Amino acid sequence: MGFILTTLIFLVIGIIACFCARICCNKGPSANLFHLTLVITATVCCWMMWAIVYLAQMNPLIVPILSEGE
Amino acid sequence: MELLKNLPEMDLMRSEKMTFVQLIIPVESAHRAVSYLGELGLLQFRDLNDDKSPFQRTFVNQVKRCAEMSRKLRFFKDQIHKAGLLSSVLPTLQPDVDLEALETQLSEHEHELIEMNANSEKLQQTYNELLEFKIVMQKAGVFLVSGKTYETAEGRELDDNVYLSDYPESASLLEQATQSGPSISSGLRFVSGIIPKSKVLLFERMLFRATRGNLLFNQVPADDHIMDPVSSEMVEKTVFVVFFSGEQAKTKILKICEAFGANCYPVPEDLTKQTQITQEVLSRLSELETTLDVGIRHRNSALHSIGVHLTTWMTMVKREKAVFDTLNMLNFDVTKKCLVGEGWCPIFAKPQIQEALQRATFDSNSQVGIIFHVMDAVESPPTYFRTNTFTNAYQEIVDAYGIAKYQEANPAVYTVITFPFLFAVMFGDWGHGICLLVGALILIARERKLSSQKLGSFMEMLFGGRYVLLLMSLFSIYCGLIYNEFFSVPYHIFGDSAYRCRDDSCRDAYTAGLVKYRDAYPFGVDPSWRGSRTELPFLNSLKMKMSILFGVAQMNLGIMLSYFNSIYFNNSLDIRYQFVPQMIFLNSLFGYLSLLIIIKWCTGSKADLYHVMIYMFLSPTDDLGENELFWGQRPLQILLLLSALVAVPWMLFPKPFILRKLHSERFQGRAYGILRSSEVDTDSEPGSARQHVEEFNFSEVFVHQMIHSIEFVLGSVSNTASYLRLWALSLAHSELSTVFYEKVLLLAWGYENILIRLVGLSVFAFATAFILLMMETLSAFLHALRLHWVEFQNKFYAGDGYKFKPFSFAAIADDED
Repeated sequence: MGFILTTLIFLVIGIIACFCARICCNKGPSANLFHLTLVITATVCCWMMWAIVYLAQMNPLIVPILSEGE
Repeated sequence: MELLKNLPEMDLMRSEKMTFVQLIIPVESAHRAVSYLGELGLLQFRDLNDDKSPFQRTFVNQVKRCAEMSRKLRFFKDQIHKAGLLSSVLPTLQPDVDLEALETQLSEHEHELIEMNANSEKLQQTYNELLEFKIVMQKAGVFLVSGKTYETAEGRELDDNVYLSDYPESASLLEQATQSGPSISSGLRFVSGIIPKSKVLLFERMLFRATRGNLLFNQVPADDHIMDPVSSEMVEKTVFVVFFSGEQAKTKILKICEAFGANCYPVPEDLTKQTQITQEVLSRLSELETTLDVGIRHRNSALHSIGVHLTTWMTMVKREKAVFDTLNMLNFDVTKKCLVGEGWCPIFAKPQIQEALQRATFDSNSQVGIIFHVMDAVESPPTYFRTNTFTNAYQEIVDAYGIAKYQEANPAVYTVITFPFLFAVMFGDWGHGICLLVGALILIARERKLSSQKLGSFMEMLFGGRYVLLLMSLFSIYCGLIYNEFFSVPYHIFGDSAYRCRDDSCRDAYTAGLVKYRDAYPFGVDPSWRGSRTELPFLNSLKMKMSILFGVAQMNLGIMLSYFNSIYFNNSLDIRYQFVPQMIFLNSLFGYLSLLIIIKWCTGSKADLYHVMIYMFLSPTDDLGENELFWGQRPLQILLLLSALVAVPWMLFPKPFILRKLHSERFQGRAYGILRSSEVDTDSEPGSARQHVEEFNFSEVFVHQMIHSIEFVLGSVSNTASYLRLWALSLAHSELSTVFYEKVLLLAWGYENILIRLVGLSVFAFATAFILLMMETLSAFLHALRLHWVEFQNKFYAGDGYKFKPFSFAAIADDED
């Protein structure tokens, strides 16, 4: 549940960033497509990073064992 | 597919479309046309006179004159530098001074300057001689005068006699000298002069040997330093007086003086004469000083007036030389009234070029217009990407590996994001990221000021990459938040940890550990992991799997780009016999591994993925037992293994045979147009219809394909493993950061002493700045670069094009600096 919710949040942020890029620097269709590519790539990379770390902690096989002197 | 075809061309994705053009310029407008084209900077001329030596070219005289003028300008610059004047640059744009007028002006200035220099040199020499004479007079006069006083005190008391008896030699000799006079041949005579201090000892010894000991050598160091005219340095000198007898001794001594560079000056023994001459010398010295001063000031004002214009003149001369060099690349046509030039230009620039040429025709009052038309070219065009300040750095990074072939996909489009991102994966610490961000923002804020300055090579690289640094720092902050490391300290920014003690006493925490009682920590690594004993096993597993996932994703992106390349060049052969088997091979093995990783994470299974992968190859039909992650895994694994095995001959064999068939069809049935492929031969020229290599070397093509396939198959294993460096460097960064924090800062902070705390803080700061911020940044930069250049680009990038280098005045100015 938390996974899907946060994925949707990433999707929404990505769409907002696309619109921002379109509004801020609208320099013709080829440049727009380039900016769109950049934004999509960045969103996908960030989402992948978060998703990997989240999935790895969903069902962990080991738990933190505190060390002496903590 | 339709949507893909209807999309507009992306900005930086493929090279601008270039076209080969021919210019026919009448001679009277040639110079002006080339200058205007240089200002525009969008046409790359081809050297039509390649085979001629520089001296056989048409405009060689003009080039020589420009070279001569730039030599004079360099001379002026040198002189200004030597005189220590600050070169004040007037940024005013002067109207175009005629080249001939400039030439005469420059030679006048040079002549004037050389004359002034010669004069002042002569004056300086005279000044030096007089100065030396004065010093010799003062010092040597002391010897001679003291001798005389002893002489007059002859008839005095006992103590005077004691003096006399102590210096019997000098007294009697001097007596003779004073009584006789310098012109009597057999009497005692002397030579006085001045010699550099370093040579005195040798000089004395030489004189001693030459006169067989019959001399008296007196020396005293001079007080002032004297300017040596040759080396223009201040030299310490010594005044000497040599007493000797005999004519031959004199000639010998004079010769030795000359050999050692000692200057001899005659000093009269008479005290009154001495004072008289000294007065004369002093007055002449002060005269010369004023004259020298006036001369220097005159020269400085001349240099100043030159210096004001110097930069504009240098730019002008450089431009003219460039224009003539370019004119040398053009050919005279049959009638000798026109110059013919060929070159490459981007298609979008054609109207601008035509406008510039029309302006040139108008400005030079030529009757005939300049002809500008498109031609077919044999060779492939140069590659031209229109970058802005932001994308320029990334394009340079990609170009450093190899310039893109004309119109192939440009990896820079994705590198803009993935390169800083992979850097950040290896660097992840949001404290360090903030430091990098501050640095990048400072560089960007002072952009205007720094771009006009001349920077050192390290600063220049740093300044050129300021936008790369900006993105690197932003992604580092993001990854630092995910790894939950702020100078290696975790924070509970996103809520409470998902772990807690099993009971309130927390006894088990050190043996069995905490227990997970909630959903996973919403963003990033749970802060409870830091400092625990199982931190490293957990993080290692996480980061290794993350590296594999990123690696497989990036490699798939690379293969997809090769698909887009094949679509663009209409190369269906490549799609069917290269793209498809490559995708199948990579994904049936490493895509499947990624899938297993994700399933294992989602289900929490205890399956051993090493075991699963290895036994998928060794004994695929065996029962999986506890390594089963999902139903149907065994048949799926068998299927994937078979697909991978089939994919290898699929990418190896069909293509060369089909190419041979197509080649024979083309040249026997004259049926072309089936395939305008870019890989017909190993040394292919895309789109070439005319100059086609007739023979088709099958063995070469087959070997080429075999190498390509083996590279891909073996490379898929090694490249996937290569992505594990993401894990390795991130671990190293994290550990270094932890060590500095715990073993330096916390240790020093434990003491109550303020001095130890300060020392600890400063050591921590230095270690962080130099090792973590500089060395680790360079290291992660390098490894991210390698991942892009090798693992990402070898899936699709040919990189054997050449760069578009237009004739441009702006580029020349950059080059010279």
